[in-house]
Amino acid sequence: MGAVHIKDEERVGSEAKFKLEPSVYLQKLYESGTPDLGWMNQMGEWGVRAKPGNLGLRLKDIEIGSYGIVPEHGGAHRSMAPRGAVISEDLPSLGFTINEKAECWADNVTELYEEAVARQWSSARDIPWTELKPLPDDLERAMCQLCTFLTEVEFIAADAPTRWMGQMNHDFFEVKMFLATQAMDEARHMDVFRKRALANGGGLGKASPISELSLKRIFDCPSFSAQTGRLQLLGEGFVLTMFRQGEFLAPSRVDQEIFRRCMQDESRHVGFGTMHLRAQLKANPAVAEELHEQLDDAERILLETFSVPEAVEPMAILMGGGVEHFDKGMELQGQLWRRIVHEYLQRCDSAGLDRRPRCILPTDFNKLFEATA
Amino acid sequence: MAAFPDSDWFLTLGRLMHAEGELFRRLGYAETRFAVRVVPNNTGNGGDRIVGLVIDGYQLTEATPIVDLNDYDPDFVICGKREIWDRMLGEIAEYGRPQLRHTLSSLALVGEELWLESTDQLREDKFYRFNQTLQELLNLASKVPA
Repeated sequence: MGAVHIKDEERVGSEAKFKLEPSVYLQKLYESGTPDLGWMNQMGEWGVRAKPGNLGLRLKDIEIGSYGIVPEHGGAHRSMAPRGAVISEDLPSLGFTINEKAECWADNVTELYEEAVARQWSSARDIPWTELKPLPDDLERAMCQLCTFLTEVEFIAADAPTRWMGQMNHDFFEVKMFLATQAMDEARHMDVFRKRALANGGGLGKASPISELSLKRIFDCPSFSAQTGRLQLLGEGFVLTMFRQGEFLAPSRVDQEIFRRCMQDESRHVGFGTMHLRAQLKANPAVAEELHEQLDDAERILLETFSVPEAVEPMAILMGGGVEHFDKGMELQGQLWRRIVHEYLQRCDSAGLDRRPRCILPTDFNKLFEATA
Repeated sequence: MAAFPDSDWFLTLGRLMHAEGELFRRLGYAETRFAVRVVPNNTGNGGDRIVGLVIDGYQLTEATPIVDLNDYDPDFVICGKREIWDRMLGEIAEYGRPQLRHTLSSLALVGEELWLESTDQLREDKFYRFNQTLQELLNLASKVPA
């Protein structure tokens, strides 16, 4: 022993204020040399032998016996003791406030977590940056303004839901793990759009007060479910369509790769949100009114977003292929708007939220101008 | 020799997918059961054909002609006229990938030349979740002898 050299070893603890007294157990061990081993008789369900599937050992493969049961009510100890472990009586509570499964769960959460881990990518490695070619000035300015908007809004989907992570009962750890992947996805989105804005002779454009208001409202949501409705169902669903538009309007393969990969990530977030709301609404139908109120306001702000040129024009210029084809771009925007509204309402249906009677988003893009007037 | 959209043609893609393992492992696994529908175009140089496909992880494990889509219960169906599919495959043969606005996602977004059918938006969203895998799978057509 003592083979590892520690610099100034004689000084370690020389100024410590407390002297460590060996525990009763350690004294006994020192004296008898016999290990206690009592912990060996305090195990959770024993004899579990999870078998990997063709894609390795996934979370669903370890949902065995009692370990596979996600309780409706999170553990009353409110600690981070692992679900299925033997729980001591003297665990300090971490004060979790989200303790009901329905308040955070989604039935596809483990599937989406594993998928997210498997489909991570690197903006440095996986985007063919060297293929980036100079664009006409109007297209580059439009792309940079779009990237500015996306750089501005993307990280809210990390900042906002992770505020609730520390309040979720640890028996629902799968949700926390999924939200961690979502935070990583959004970090990558913020990073890749900032890189794109700075990679081709352009730079960042104009930040938007209305976008900031939208972000603030998401940030200030009073519950995880309310936030999920506002963020994942409407916000992320809208951005998902923007990413798909981005893949379509991309003036280069670099831009197409960026948008396609972001689109894949965003679909998982929307999938989680939809399924969470389905579970929550099934367990607590009264939550519907809270969701409606959030969406009433979120839809109004979305419409206001289309009241400033920096939000409307870059996409139309990119869709049309230049300022001279602005009208064509707006026409294409109109066709896609119908799809945005259709898919949003479809997701509301899928979540079990009858949004159609209250939705203020017109299906006709031209009415958007009347609606914001 | 099998030709698009014969199920054997897709199985050839599946073998190429297996051989290109590293590319698909880097994209991450995919799990979806979907279908490709080829609709006859105005000039009538093709038939209405549906092929059911299963991607399980990094492999195409099933390609089978479909008569009844309800029985097959796919997550989504990618539908397009024969000439649109032929144009895409022609571009893939020439450039290794379709032109920028002729990718699966771009065409499905506009929804005129290619469109998606699904009974559930969540299941349709798998088209977007695994889009890169789907496109790379089709891009392997550049390696299939004409």
